[in-house]
Amino acid sequence: MHTRIGLQFVAVVGIVTSVAIGLLAMVTLRTHRREMIAQLAQSADLLSETVKRSTEDDMLENRRDRLRRQLEAIAGEKRIERVRVFNKEGRIVLSSDGSEVGRALDKGAESCFACHAQGRPLEKPPVQERVRTFTVADGHRVLGIVSPIQNQESCTNAACHAHAPDESVLGVLDVTVSLDEVDRQIVASRNRIVGLAVVAVVGTGLLLWWLSRHLITGPVEALAAGTRRVAAGDLTTTIPVTGRHELGELASAFNAMTARLSEAQRQLTQADKLASVGRLAAGVAHEINNPLTGVLTYASFLADRTSADPELHTDLEVIVRETKRCREIVRGLLDFARQTPPRRQSTDLNEVARRAVAVVMNQLQLGHVALTLDLADDLVPVEADPNQIQQVLVNLLLNAADAIGERGGTIRLTSRRAELPPRGHEQIRHAECPHGCDLLDPTTRVGGLPTIRVLRTHGGREWTLGLDPVYGRFNHVSAESCEEGVIALAACPRCRTTLVESEQRCTLCGAPTFAVRGPDDQPVRWCSRTGCHHTWWEARERRGAAPVVELLVEDNGRGISREALPKLFEPFFTTKGARGTGLGLAITWGIVEGHGGTIDVESEEGRGTRVRVCLPVAAPDRRRAAA
Amino acid sequence: MTGPDVLVIDDEPVVREAVRHVLGAQGLEVATADAGAAGLAHPAAATCRLVLCDLMLPDRSGLDVLAELVRRRPGLPVVLITGYATLDHRARARDAGAADFLAKPFDAKELLDTVRRALTCSGSTKEGNA
Repeated sequence: MHTRIGLQFVAVVGIVTSVAIGLLAMVTLRTHRREMIAQLAQSADLLSETVKRSTEDDMLENRRDRLRRQLEAIAGEKRIERVRVFNKEGRIVLSSDGSEVGRALDKGAESCFACHAQGRPLEKPPVQERVRTFTVADGHRVLGIVSPIQNQESCTNAACHAHAPDESVLGVLDVTVSLDEVDRQIVASRNRIVGLAVVAVVGTGLLLWWLSRHLITGPVEALAAGTRRVAAGDLTTTIPVTGRHELGELASAFNAMTARLSEAQRQLTQADKLASVGRLAAGVAHEINNPLTGVLTYASFLADRTSADPELHTDLEVIVRETKRCREIVRGLLDFARQTPPRRQSTDLNEVARRAVAVVMNQLQLGHVALTLDLADDLVPVEADPNQIQQVLVNLLLNAADAIGERGGTIRLTSRRAELPPRGHEQIRHAECPHGCDLLDPTTRVGGLPTIRVLRTHGGREWTLGLDPVYGRFNHVSAESCEEGVIALAACPRCRTTLVESEQRCTLCGAPTFAVRGPDDQPVRWCSRTGCHHTWWEARERRGAAPVVELLVEDNGRGISREALPKLFEPFFTTKGARGTGLGLAITWGIVEGHGGTIDVESEEGRGTRVRVCLPVAAPDRRRAAA
Repeated sequence: MTGPDVLVIDDEPVVREAVRHVLGAQGLEVATADAGAAGLAHPAAATCRLVLCDLMLPDRSGLDVLAELVRRRPGLPVVLITGYATLDHRARARDAGAADFLAKPFDAKELLDTVRRALTCSGSTKEGNA
């Protein structure tokens, strides 16, 4: 297993932090120690001065007993180890420890070093130079400070033991204080600092570990897992977008990428499916039509000549009938394979409708079906491919006849002019989130049209909503119902980017709106309050109503179930069982799409079906240029 | 008039034989060819009353054969046969001067009806032209 990036990161930062904190602790401890000793030295110096002043009189009068007692009293204080005075020659003249009086110290000894280090005595070096620390015999550490006793006029004048006036230093007061307390405090603060340092290192480490998990390792692992899933072929993978930093951006980009891949794959699969069917159909047609011609010709020829032999005649009729069924299947496949761009010409759709009816009349025994034609006489010519539109109408009429079945019923074919206002008619054929994820959902359809999928959230609940792709219509599809009148946020279901617009408000209820990037990158917005019917497609509203010709095929047959309705236009979906190829409406859909028209189906089970095809009077310029 | 009444050009033997069988039963004499060049070179091409020609021949398109036949013998009814029947093909066949169009697979009745219609129409067309 590879080393995890988070662990490496924590290790590196942890080591750096430990070293830094360790160094800091060491420097702090040293400084602290130095300061405490300096402070103690100051106190000791003050003490020395106090001792000198308080013993001045006794010194002048050379009252050695009193002096000794005083020194002993001072040294009685616990923290003071020893107080002594020695003369210039280094002989101890007074001491709180009486036993050492009269002993001579070497000039190299601890007490003398400060002044004599330079080879000559100094009058009064600064405090820090007069201080030394050392360890005494019983093992504890002490601080000694020497303080020269300066010659004064009173000293040279004194009757008793007058000093010579040219002497500058008469002797040295040497005070030794215990470092026990200081050492104890230093140990205590060392322990405290080390403790704190350990806590800081461990704490920083834990914090780093946690942060790295949340900010780096977690998202990176999610990305890695997502990538592995995508590599394994699962293109529905999305990973949570964790923040607005680079990893969040990466996650969004990743989601957008899988969305695009998935869409591309879907289209490829669809195209591939269609292309394979096309190739297969062409091959099958070629190979099968010739033998079928042989079978059909001979069988029908023989059937006509065997009316005298009913048994044989019936058998031959079966062969003829079944061969003709084969023929229909092959033709269906060929029609499907042969979806070509429309060859537009100025077309009278009434003429096309009449031809379609003629074809249907020829093909079907319509005895039990009453077909009514209601063709508007003010129809304008439409830029369309008459053959393809005829195919559409034939298909719709045959479906209607199938839906009526043996019970009998009526089919009504209507043509009329219409001004198609965008609302309630114009299909939103393109929808993206701000990150470019395709929001069209071909798996969830309304009236055969792919819905626009958004993620709604309200009160901690989350549900996907398939927006009705027909602008101004609100037959949204949702697996979950949500009470009306609440403001539910909307986001991209793939990358979870919000679709809510900060500057827009619903003109009906004032709630915030959400929008998708529609055709030509123009926004289409809806009110985010559930149940509020506000929607606005600025770009489309500006263009106004479009003149169209409507072709309606209505029947009072058995109708289509709610479950089947959304799948109606999918290739290979059929409600006719073995009799259908599932290609008719897929072809119809493709043709109407190719004309820039719309097709929608309304149906009620048991009541009938109404299919409406709207064809634009003028072909869209863009499509014409592309064709 | 001597020689075959109908020339069938199709690369598929079963189609040629089936047509010969059905039309033969109606007293029509049928000649056959298995490719475009062979059909055009066939003596019957100059004498027959009707040509049935497949749209997809191994050596050339049925539309080419049709054009050549019509160029040589204006008014000769030519019926195109194809396994790829579309409204579009039908329209193009008519534009190219075909008398009719027969989609495979056809049954005996469709074949006979088409042949009768083509023969009758060509007769009336000739009269109209004359």
